[in-house]
Amino acid sequence: MTTIEELVEKNAISRIEVEMHPRDQALRLLYGTPGFIAWLGELAKDSQPERRLGEATPAEQVDELFNTFLSGLPLVYVKQFRSIRAEKNAVWELKTPDIRIFGWFLKRDCFVAVFGNLADEVKDHDLYRGYRIAIRRLRRELGVDETLCVQGVTPGDVLSL
Amino acid sequence: MTSFHFDIGSRARHAGRFIGRVRGELLRVLAEKKAKAGLPQQVLAEKLGIERSLINRQLSGEANLSLRSLADLAWAMDMEISFELKEPVARAGQNQPILNQPMTTSTVQYGQIKYINGGGKQVALFAVPANPETVQAKKSA
Repeated sequence: MTTIEELVEKNAISRIEVEMHPRDQALRLLYGTPGFIAWLGELAKDSQPERRLGEATPAEQVDELFNTFLSGLPLVYVKQFRSIRAEKNAVWELKTPDIRIFGWFLKRDCFVAVFGNLADEVKDHDLYRGYRIAIRRLRRELGVDETLCVQGVTPGDVLSL
Repeated sequence: MTSFHFDIGSRARHAGRFIGRVRGELLRVLAEKKAKAGLPQQVLAEKLGIERSLINRQLSGEANLSLRSLADLAWAMDMEISFELKEPVARAGQNQPILNQPMTTSTVQYGQIKYINGGGKQVALFAVPANPETVQAKKSA
């Protein structure tokens, strides 16, 4: 049976961390595939706006979402996370106003991110089906379809609320 | 690579988390009001004389939330706003920012040793992690 440690050892996934408030401890776990982490690195490059009077940049939104997730704070179902389709071994989506992140829950409170993209791109090109199929294929290749995947599709199945 | 630190810089981090916290608080209060008093967004919109979709977009982050609209929303929900700027206070036992953290290691079984006060006089503090797996990942990093 494949374990999370084995996936990390063979570089299939890596831990993702953000700087947390000094009083906070990581109460949830977040992982990403190499492809997702490369995307995240690109996103971080444009994170410091020279001048900005308006709202958060995509990178700021993702940092805030990750901080909320890792700190164990509540996430708003549908607005911040939801399953793509109500099915066994579902693929899940983490959401910010401008960004969509797709992956699955290895276990409760433990998410692995596989794809990230701008919300407009995802919606304009209807990428949901393609991401869902690609993630299911990746899980089969990694041999984790049954062993490291939350079966349920209710919010309480994937997050301690 | 065993871990990746998503670092967007201090300025961006502060901005993004402040904006997120304000929106989160609005969503929380609205959900509570809706559950207790049946106060839907439509009622807020009528009270403020604006479209419900605008409130929805403001709360979801798809539309700008000005100080004026924040004050209006709080008024419509019959809430007061508390706002304060204060100096950060360092307390013993709390996490240190990554850049100021000269050395972090783990004990063999449980608990994390943190050395504070830079490279000078070092004080060891023990913190019991909420999740042992967190420590395991740091060890392997």
